Amino acid sequence: MFIPVMQQLLAGFGETLKVFLLTLVFSIPLGLVVCFGSMSKWRPFRRLIGGRLGFLGKWMPIRMVTRTFVWIIRGSPLMLQLILVFYGPGLLFDLPAMSRFNATILAFSINYACYFSEIYRGGIESIPQGQYEAGQVLGMTRHQIFFKVVLLQVIKRITAPMGNEVITLVKDTSLARVIGIYELIWAGESFIKKGLLWPLFATGVFYLVFSGALTVLLNSFEKKLDYFRG
Amino acid sequence: MHSAKNDKNAKIMLYNFSVVKYNPIIKSNPTRERKVTVMKKMIAMILVLVMMLSLAACGGADSGSDLKNIQKKGKIVVGITDYAPMDYKDENGEWTGFDAEFAKLFAAELGVECEFYVIADWGKKFMELDTKQIDAVWNGMTITEEATSNSSVSDPYVINAQVVVMKADAVGNYADTAAMNGLTIAVENGSAGQDAANAIEGANVVALQDQAAALLEVKAGTADACVIDITMAYAMTGAGSDYADLAPGISLTEELYGVSFRKDSDLTAKFNEFMAGIKADGTLQALADKYNLTLAN
Amino acid sequence: MAVLEVKNLKKRFGELDVLKGVSFSLEKGQVLALIGSSGGGKSTLLRCLNFLETPDEGQILVNGKPLLSGSEEEIRKNRLHFGLVFQNFNLFPQYTVLENITLAPGLLKLDTPEAIRANALALLEKVGLSQKANAYPYQLSGGQQQRTAIARALALNPEILCFDEPTSALDPELTGEVLRVIRDLKTGGNTMIVVTHEMEFAKSVADVIIYMAEGVIEEAGTPEEVFDNPKSEKTRAFLRGTQERF
Repeated sequence: MFIPVMQQLLAGFGETLKVFLLTLVFSIPLGLVVCFGSMSKWRPFRRLIGGRLGFLGKWMPIRMVTRTFVWIIRGSPLMLQLILVFYGPGLLFDLPAMSRFNATILAFSINYACYFSEIYRGGIESIPQGQYEAGQVLGMTRHQIFFKVVLLQVIKRITAPMGNEVITLVKDTSLARVIGIYELIWAGESFIKKGLLWPLFATGVFYLVFSGALTVLLNSFEKKLDYFRG
Repeated sequence: MHSAKNDKNAKIMLYNFSVVKYNPIIKSNPTRERKVTVMKKMIAMILVLVMMLSLAACGGADSGSDLKNIQKKGKIVVGITDYAPMDYKDENGEWTGFDAEFAKLFAAELGVECEFYVIADWGKKFMELDTKQIDAVWNGMTITEEATSNSSVSDPYVINAQVVVMKADAVGNYADTAAMNGLTIAVENGSAGQDAANAIEGANVVALQDQAAALLEVKAGTADACVIDITMAYAMTGAGSDYADLAPGISLTEELYGVSFRKDSDLTAKFNEFMAGIKADGTLQALADKYNLTLAN
Repeated sequence: MAVLEVKNLKKRFGELDVLKGVSFSLEKGQVLALIGSSGGGKSTLLRCLNFLETPDEGQILVNGKPLLSGSEEEIRKNRLHFGLVFQNFNLFPQYTVLENITLAPGLLKLDTPEAIRANALALLEKVGLSQKANAYPYQLSGGQQQRTAIARALALNPEILCFDEPTSALDPELTGEVLRVIRDLKTGGNTMIVVTHEMEFAKSVADVIIYMAEGVIEEAGTPEEVFDNPKSEKTRAFLRGTQERF
């Protein structure tokens, strides 16, 4: 009994791992895009400042749209977003659905990108203005200032909160079962109806070992950035 | 009452015909045998003879009519297991469920009490019946060859089937499972429907958390069909529901539930007659609705 | 000809007039000390020269050529005429002392990497930090950090080097080493503008003193003129106040 159960659990863990890795691959860069959107200072009507429509002058549409989006994603359950992404097209617009797996990766990536974007934003905003000004008076371009001066400091500051999110993601992958992804918990749960309880609890060992390995990895990454302070 | 510690008990035991008849071990117990004096043995034998004669004179109530026998002892012993929604304990620890309520109705009809007896080993249910530990096996029992050959089975009272549900405009195209090759079929994980769907050749079976989720997949178009219980299929689809555009198609497996009585028991006929009555007046349908079941026709 | 000419510079933040028309000029090799109470506009003036703020009105001419504030690219070029040393050093924490100095010249491709490195080491020698080339900023004292910042600014060969209160964030015992470096730079012929509260230092190093109050130049002249014979009543009051502090 042990071997076939373990085979099923390993298959489930494989799915979990796929969801985890692909979500990170997409959400980490996507989060940066979302972050830039939520920090955008673009004011299309800035010329109106001082006039009767002055209030429009301060309007930053990209920032507003992005922050509203982030609020919606962070303010609603990921499970609901999964259901909406997968079933929504068919239920609301009679469109063909994307595959279960793609829908999962899409929903997870968007959700985590929004969380990451706020962590990025916090990190970027915590960098003192003086760092930007120092770069400016040294004749650097905005691009150079961001990548050569600010970025590494931001990375150092966000490593710990990002680590938290990454560990959370390990466990959040279990939500994918609502749209029929046969991930680890699902694999364990399916034995309950066959009269076996222990496989479900055995999944906990998988999660613990995996998140333990990640913790070690994250800690060593944090150590790598220990050579400077700031 | 199975172990006679003194002569008096032994005598009382001997009065009970069934115990003597069905417990040959006791009869041949040498330790007991020694305790019984020759005199008392003879008295006992006489008593047995008298009893047998009197029973025969009464028309053989014990061996001939279960119905009379039950009415005589004032209770019917119903063999069950804990099996919701057919039989399960409510918050007060009392047995309830479709079968439990049904059995109580039948007991009332017979004018006797209804006693529930938990069958420890479902595989030995007919042995329990034969040994008169119970008077009926009444627990969502599927009518099988085994049941009909080992007992007297009532008319079917509940139907349970796994049916395919599809978009109403597509359901006509799938008259058999061969046509379903290549379809994505949603099922509840671990359900009978999952087994039924797995048996369809070439089907891509997706296991979900419950039957409602399977139904939602068909509605959303993320699965071509789902396989769910017939009761649910009829309750949730059709006009007026959110799933009005879905319809049940073919049944994959069909099971009928029946009640087992002892072989050649007159209770079977009595039960069938009673069931026809409460079916006609709607009582049974109301009970079926309460527990979300579908009555057999 | 004056290396720097500032004409009628005005800057307002919302309702607040910070610079109300500031004009002055500076000859090559001269050291200008900007003094005055906080909020008088000294720092804003310095930030305007370095294009960290955009003036609302007025002109900045370097070597007779007006610096036009236009595209980002032009602003970036204009900035290179000036260097700025901050009150809080603003070193880049993830780079060593040497890397802090070579970063900008490398990005601007001013020279070959080897030449940039050699120049940086020479500058470190000049500010007395040769031994700290491979240290990270957090391993340095405030005075050492500020000297690194000076070397970093010098690496781009600015025509005018600006200091925004370079010793204000330092413990008193560390100000000396920084002021000594600035003094050496004057000897080396660097044109400098120093915003400072160190009156003795201003008096001994500066060729020109400008006292700013409420967004205007209240008094300008040689150290003798301003410190010994102030014409304006405000200047006298300010100088009395600074003396009372000690």
